[in-house]
Amino acid sequence: KRRRYAVEPQALEVEDGLESLLVRVGEKSSSSLERNLETLVGLLEQDLEAYKAKIIQILLDCIIRMPEKSSIYATLIGLINIKNYSFGGEVVEALVRQLKDAMKACEWEKGRYTFRFICDLGNTRVLALSSVVQLMDSFVQSGSENDVPQVRKDWFIFTVLGSLPFVGKALFEKRSGDLDRILSMIQSTLEKRKKTHVGGLRVWLSDDPHPQEEYLDCLWAQIVKLKGDGWVEKHLPHPYMSFHSVLSEGVTHNLPTIIPPPHHADHSAAQLLLFPYQGGGKVPLEYMVVEVIISELLGLPSSRYLEVFYGSLLIELCTLQPSTIPQVLAQATEMIFSRIETMNVDCIQRFSSWFAYHLSNYQFRWSWGEWQDCLSLDSLHPKPVFIQETLAKCLRLAYLQRLVEVTPESFAPLHPPKAEPVYKYTQESASSLPGTTAAHNLLAAIKQKCTPDEALKVLEDLPNPLTVDGSGDPPYHPLQIEVFTQTLLYLGSKTFSHSFAAITKFHPVLKTLIQTEDAQICLLKNLHQVWLKHPQMQLVLIDKLLKTQIIECAAVANWIFSRDMAPEFTRMYVWEILHMTISKMSKYVKKLSQEVAETKEKLKKLGEESEESDKEGEPGDQRPTEDALEKLEEKLESALADQKNLFLIVFQRFIMILSEHIVHCDTDGKDFHTWWYFWTLGHLKQVFMLHEEQVNKCKDTLETLLFTPELDSNILEVSDMDLCILY
Amino acid sequence: ARSEQERLLRVSTTLYVGNLSFFTTEEQIYELFSKTGDVKRVVMGLDRYKKTPCGFCFVEYYTRGDAENAVRYINGTRLDDRIVRTDWDAGFIEGRQFGRG
Repeated sequence: KRRRYAVEPQALEVEDGLESLLVRVGEKSSSSLERNLETLVGLLEQDLEAYKAKIIQILLDCIIRMPEKSSIYATLIGLINIKNYSFGGEVVEALVRQLKDAMKACEWEKGRYTFRFICDLGNTRVLALSSVVQLMDSFVQSGSENDVPQVRKDWFIFTVLGSLPFVGKALFEKRSGDLDRILSMIQSTLEKRKKTHVGGLRVWLSDDPHPQEEYLDCLWAQIVKLKGDGWVEKHLPHPYMSFHSVLSEGVTHNLPTIIPPPHHADHSAAQLLLFPYQGGGKVPLEYMVVEVIISELLGLPSSRYLEVFYGSLLIELCTLQPSTIPQVLAQATEMIFSRIETMNVDCIQRFSSWFAYHLSNYQFRWSWGEWQDCLSLDSLHPKPVFIQETLAKCLRLAYLQRLVEVTPESFAPLHPPKAEPVYKYTQESASSLPGTTAAHNLLAAIKQKCTPDEALKVLEDLPNPLTVDGSGDPPYHPLQIEVFTQTLLYLGSKTFSHSFAAITKFHPVLKTLIQTEDAQICLLKNLHQVWLKHPQMQLVLIDKLLKTQIIECAAVANWIFSRDMAPEFTRMYVWEILHMTISKMSKYVKKLSQEVAETKEKLKKLGEESEESDKEGEPGDQRPTEDALEKLEEKLESALADQKNLFLIVFQRFIMILSEHIVHCDTDGKDFHTWWYFWTLGHLKQVFMLHEEQVNKCKDTLETLLFTPELDSNILEVSDMDLCILY
Repeated sequence: ARSEQERLLRVSTTLYVGNLSFFTTEEQIYELFSKTGDVKRVVMGLDRYKKTPCGFCFVEYYTRGDAENAVRYINGTRLDDRIVRTDWDAGFIEGRQFGRG
């Protein structure tokens, strides 16, 4: 007989063997699934008692990680239950615990799969159908509570509906009264459901050619159809059918009452997925796979995983199935492009960025010629803008000549410019500029490796254009800033590293020249002038200037909305810069909050320790003090104020610029729904979506100060929809 | 020393990136590798004599997680038509950017 020590190497081997067998059941194999299941049951029988806990844990993991095989595991447990009733009971207990824990921990996906699996056990005589009904009742009840957020209620309804394709037929045959009652309760809940947030989460703004259905309504319609078909479908595997007569001998267990934990405030369920489908030959799998991946990539408010994950997944699929996936993907791309003028602006940006990345893996080969028609459209029409922005993104991964070679000659107006600096003081007209002499002197000085102080000396005699006679020194010196930053950036223009090194070396000069927000904006203006043709350089340099605290986030926001930036206002890179800036602020706030929490925790522990005994702290041990905590808290408070200020600036500038546009159009008797308006309103929404968690914290301030009822209804609608999602 | 090296590799946030084209620039590396997170710095591998790029670089991230995602998603995909290969690096030390000519 085997001994039961988990540490025994032999035992570990057995455990690994069991795990591998359980994980792999249902994979392609030379014998039938039925045969494999029978063999597995035989093998498990020997080890069941000795390795019970381990086996149950593996099974629980399998149903979460491989939900597409859940009916196979339900069958397996059904077969084991006949031979070992108490084991079946322990599995049920463990599942109930997993469901409860998942709900408590807000692991909604895990909870949903566990729920569905529990229902599936009703098909294999492990659970009484009356228990399944009872569980569904409890969930539907929670789905119709009052005074809890919509997302929470939706999850309960979604979970019940999602399990009906699995257990609907059994319920229909043996418990049709209960089934009807559950369905009509769900229907009345759905009818009462508020859908204000739906508009905000739309990828497509138009219902033509395909109406964009809301996910719960869509699932409900499918369930109604399934009911109409007598709960018969051909897509899901039902491995237990082959064991019908064996399983009918099984003795069922009952579920305890499961009451979902009450709502608490930080429950925020993210957007939900379509339920995973296993098709195997009966459905056009390639199309579904591509559709699911792209819809995940374009998911709102944001994709669940890194965008590059979807990109690399699609590349992998193209490599594995070269005869199908690339064509399907091209069709999908073509279809999305044909409807792009009705797409959410953030989705356009993600789509463009993915497409450029994908193309860079395939030599930028694309039937570009077929998009030639777009060249005659308004230059702000989403189609030419999409092509232009995609090419700009491609350029960052390649070089200009490459793009010129792969695209038709007629695409020239959409090509990005060659990424080179524009240095004011070597242009032909430079001789008449007031800063030219100083700039040339500075060039020579820096090339001869001057110190920061010596560089400042060169700038000393430049006249300040802001000086008004008899009113003292102006707050900053635009000409000095111009000469210095233009020259410094020009000298460092060879690579990012050269620019970074230049900024690091002359950090003291920048700190001296730039002490007010206006000075910071002046610096940004000059940076923009030098690198107008190199958006990526602007992005990384601004990132660097923020990191080295030469400029502040608020200055970047004000600069983006300044008159100087109006010509570039609809370009994607401008918004990339804004989002990078906001994210930087958010990261900083998060980091400080964490530090404060950790320090508090440490202080608490220290307090407890010193009560126990007066141990000496270990030498070199960094003991936090109340003083340090206070300083940290002050820092956090001021960071939070800065963050709120940043959002106020961004939203206020959006409101001003949009309102101005509407008023102007009204005065001129023109429709204000221009493409400029499409992009700008879209970018406003984008800020809400991308930074929802942080915006949420300032929600009250925003509503009181900015998004007031007097605001134009077109703008207010966006904020209403989006603030609603935040809840 | 070997176990120390292994420990360094386990916590490293630096990747050695190889199989690059000699024409691939620092800018392109930034663009690609920023897709998994904030890049702290890129050090281009240079020919010891000519001081020109010679097909490899180091990419350093601020966090381990971002670097792990780069290994997961960027390793094996293409840049300038060449399949990018990433390896963990124990940390860049000045001088190591110079490859053999």
